[in-house]
Amino acid sequence: MSTDYGHNLIFGTFVTPANHPVHQAVEQAVVADRAGLDLVTFQDHPYLPTFHDTSTLLAYAAARTERIRLSANVANLPLRPPAVLARATATLDLLSGGRIELGLGAGGFWDGIAAMGGPRRSPGESIEALAEAIAIIRGVWDTTAPGVLSVRGKHYTVHGAKRGPAPAHPVGIWVGAYKPRILRLVGRAADGWIPSLQYLQGGLPDLIEMNRHIDDAALAAGREPRDIRRFLNIGGQFTTSGRGFLQGPPQQWAEELTEVALTYGTSGFILASDDTTLTRTFAAEVAPAVRELVATARGTGRHE
Amino acid sequence: MSNYGHPLRFGVEVLGTPEAPRAAVQVAQVAEELGYDLVAFADRADDGGADALSLASWTAARTTRVQIAATRLRTTMRPASVVARASASLQLLSGDRGLLVLGPGSTPDEVVVDEEAVTVIRALGDTAGGRASTSGRHHRLVGAETGPVVQRAVPLWVAGSSAAVAALAGRVADGWMADLDEVGVAGLAALNTVLDRVAADDGRDVREVRRSVTLTSGDAGDVDALVALVVEHGVSTFLLRVAGSADSVSQMRAFIGDVAPAVRDGAERALPPGALSARPVRRAGVLARRRPGIAYDDVPENLAEAAVEPGDAAFTTVRSTYLRGGDPGLVLRPRSVQEVVDAVGFARKHPHLPLGIRSGGHGISGRSTNDGGLVIDVGRLNDITVLDAASRLVRIGPGARWRDVATALQPYGWALTSGDYGGVGVGGLATAGGIGFLARRHGLTIDHLRAVEMVLADGTLVRASEVENTELFWAVRGAGANFGVAVAFEFAVDEVAEVGWAQLAFQVPDPAAYLEAFGRVVAATPRETTPFLILGQGVAQLMAMVDSADPDVIVSQLQPFADIAPLVQQQVVIAPYATVMNMFPPSEHQGRGEPVSRSAFTREITPGFAAASADLIRSGASHWYQIRTVGGAVADVAADATAYAHRDATFALTVMGADAQRLDRWFEPVRRQSDGLYLSFESDSDPQRITDAFPPSTLDRLRRLKAQLDPQNLFRDNFNVTPAHDDSRSAA
Repeated sequence: MSTDYGHNLIFGTFVTPANHPVHQAVEQAVVADRAGLDLVTFQDHPYLPTFHDTSTLLAYAAARTERIRLSANVANLPLRPPAVLARATATLDLLSGGRIELGLGAGGFWDGIAAMGGPRRSPGESIEALAEAIAIIRGVWDTTAPGVLSVRGKHYTVHGAKRGPAPAHPVGIWVGAYKPRILRLVGRAADGWIPSLQYLQGGLPDLIEMNRHIDDAALAAGREPRDIRRFLNIGGQFTTSGRGFLQGPPQQWAEELTEVALTYGTSGFILASDDTTLTRTFAAEVAPAVRELVATARGTGRHE
Repeated sequence: MSNYGHPLRFGVEVLGTPEAPRAAVQVAQVAEELGYDLVAFADRADDGGADALSLASWTAARTTRVQIAATRLRTTMRPASVVARASASLQLLSGDRGLLVLGPGSTPDEVVVDEEAVTVIRALGDTAGGRASTSGRHHRLVGAETGPVVQRAVPLWVAGSSAAVAALAGRVADGWMADLDEVGVAGLAALNTVLDRVAADDGRDVREVRRSVTLTSGDAGDVDALVALVVEHGVSTFLLRVAGSADSVSQMRAFIGDVAPAVRDGAERALPPGALSARPVRRAGVLARRRPGIAYDDVPENLAEAAVEPGDAAFTTVRSTYLRGGDPGLVLRPRSVQEVVDAVGFARKHPHLPLGIRSGGHGISGRSTNDGGLVIDVGRLNDITVLDAASRLVRIGPGARWRDVATALQPYGWALTSGDYGGVGVGGLATAGGIGFLARRHGLTIDHLRAVEMVLADGTLVRASEVENTELFWAVRGAGANFGVAVAFEFAVDEVAEVGWAQLAFQVPDPAAYLEAFGRVVAATPRETTPFLILGQGVAQLMAMVDSADPDVIVSQLQPFADIAPLVQQQVVIAPYATVMNMFPPSEHQGRGEPVSRSAFTREITPGFAAASADLIRSGASHWYQIRTVGGAVADVAADATAYAHRDATFALTVMGADAQRLDRWFEPVRRQSDGLYLSFESDSDPQRITDAFPPSTLDRLRRLKAQLDPQNLFRDNFNVTPAHDDSRSAA
């Protein structure tokens, strides 16, 4: 079987937001920007003092880069109240000329979250909270809607808040998710989906059923499956001879990622990299090759 | 009437318009250019405005000097724990330019929430303990990991015009901010009284809390009124409130250009001379960690701001060196030659205390930290400047790291041989020798020295070279630490294109045989190649640099080494010298305990030397056995040309162990087979060692010079050369 939602392809990196050396993560973003990648992302674990605050890092890195888009991968909702997150994201989107996206997660590592004074939520509660948060975030951003914003939820309540700021471009809400219930929320309410390959217990084929949950929920909500872009966090190494998936020369990577794109509809590949050479090779030798192979396979030569 | 002695600072607070955060950050950049001290972004959560912390972080990346504040942060809206991490990141990324202003708590409840937030932020910043818990209704920690460590804690202020806020400032804050148009002068005076009383009741020094006001452009023009605020009400920070529109720039220009100088002038005339000081006011808990015998309050004004005491946030980052755990009583961090002069002057007044001089803090012997004494850390004197491209003359500060030197020289196609690790500081190595990967081809680091500038024990700044202070120039090249604090070096560097860089690993069943073979191969190897050998139980690692980018030369010179024993791993690349110096990323020094290191030179690896070494390695008394090769260009220099005299050595051995007695039992037989030592790698404090480091004629000459330049032996916490006139002191 094959799935292809017809999205143009996005290539990015997933950088560890380590705070020592202080500017290392920023420099990795600059490298990705100059290498011509589309996206640089950072994890968000506020309970870890060895990491930068991701929101602060995103702002600083955005100011040091020129054309690359930036996002958390993914923002820790339980420690980042949605109204603040929406305003911070929009502020940065305005500053950067529309280069910010919002990777968002329902939370994990509840011990760490609780240690920081955050809530401890069950899986069901965390999905409820995420749904409420998405509604608030979109409400804050929508300055064309009439009146103040009021949302009454179980986890988040906004009462008569002034809307804004509105971001410079339609910021995508990209959710990290694996289980059916949250995947259905993605299908109903999100603009993108970011799973990590390493957390797919059955490997890539898991994507088929996960995609189906998203697609079905999207259709049921009156949306199109292609309204939700499918990303994938990946890891790999360049080696002279092939040793496995994304363990080989760039051409092998290109063929493997092309197959993923055409089989599972993945259109955003985000490579875990704190290594300048890895990032540059991915940008120079893998990304263009995948684009070309996918265009050829689609038989259109068209990048949308 | 009161003034708290705080220096005057002028800033702008950008209120901004919701649609245009770009205008806000542009105002910030203009403010820096105009010479403002502080730019503040008001958080506009309530009216759909921009996020202040995002504006602050963006601005940090686009400015270099100005302090950056996020103000009016409503703590009811976000977890204080995350605000703490955000402000710490801002502090790290901006180079300590952050400031956080919480509030305004407009109801008693909100003031309580602000106080909980301050408690949480302070608890996460106190990195002495690993985890923190605080109680609170709105903000709490339940065993959260503290950190990150910052050089200077983010100042934490509270804003508001109520007595409850003033009292909160008095209890816990580093500063208080009020809107002058809201509070009025009389109100300000009344609230200041509340603040002072609460602070005093809580046992705080009222000077711990800075007072600031924000001004509308209408209030900002009345110089006399502003001077009165300084003199009578202790206001030290004035923030002009601007919208962030086109008008703002002309208002800002007038305030900083006309009003600020007049206010400074008026305040200085009205107050006693020297009343305003940038000296930090430390909290009681910090003062409690001071050590005895140090006149902390006499630290010169220009050094006070950057000085680090045991209770300061930055202390964990400066207390230890690479291999030695330290607990100094005061670390002075001069940024200029004058500040080095002043630091040495301060040290002269504390002759009873240990005195460490630190450049990079990587010294194996660990002498740049101590227990309860002083450290002069010249790490901030780290400029690297090309003086003359034709003669490849480069001026380098003692605080630069060798990786930075290599990186700076690479674009010119130049290199300066250093050591085997890029994180080492210039000052320590360049006053001792410098046995690096280009040694056999290009000599020691000191062999490239053309001039040095040094602050002597009496505080005079001298320049030494082949034509001035020649005796000092001789002494600096091998025994420099005994004579002063180097503040700049001038080196003639080499043209070095790309080099061959090899890392080979061997199986070594018979270490003695391997060593003897290694010695034979080195003797037959051209000087382009400088190998360093690390020998362990059953294995050897060879790192070698070949000063050639020609693969045939590289392979032909390395092949004999590869043939010594079965290879288990090999990697050979052609790369710039800077790539090798940057192999390892910078890391903080977290040394613990006392290093135990021994050094020896030898002209050849005799069967006796090899056998004693093999016994040492097998004993397990040593966890590190490294042989660096010298000879070649190093031996081209006469033994009496520099204080580093062991020019005839071919090999420099360093061994390290955990237990000094045990190591010495096994090392003594090796020492007996060798001749002299390299002082940088010797931690033994036995007075006998000084005669191993310097031959008699060199030592006599050094002691005569020491008697002239440092008769009181101020610089003694090193490989100490005692003054010639004083035989009673030990050479410890």
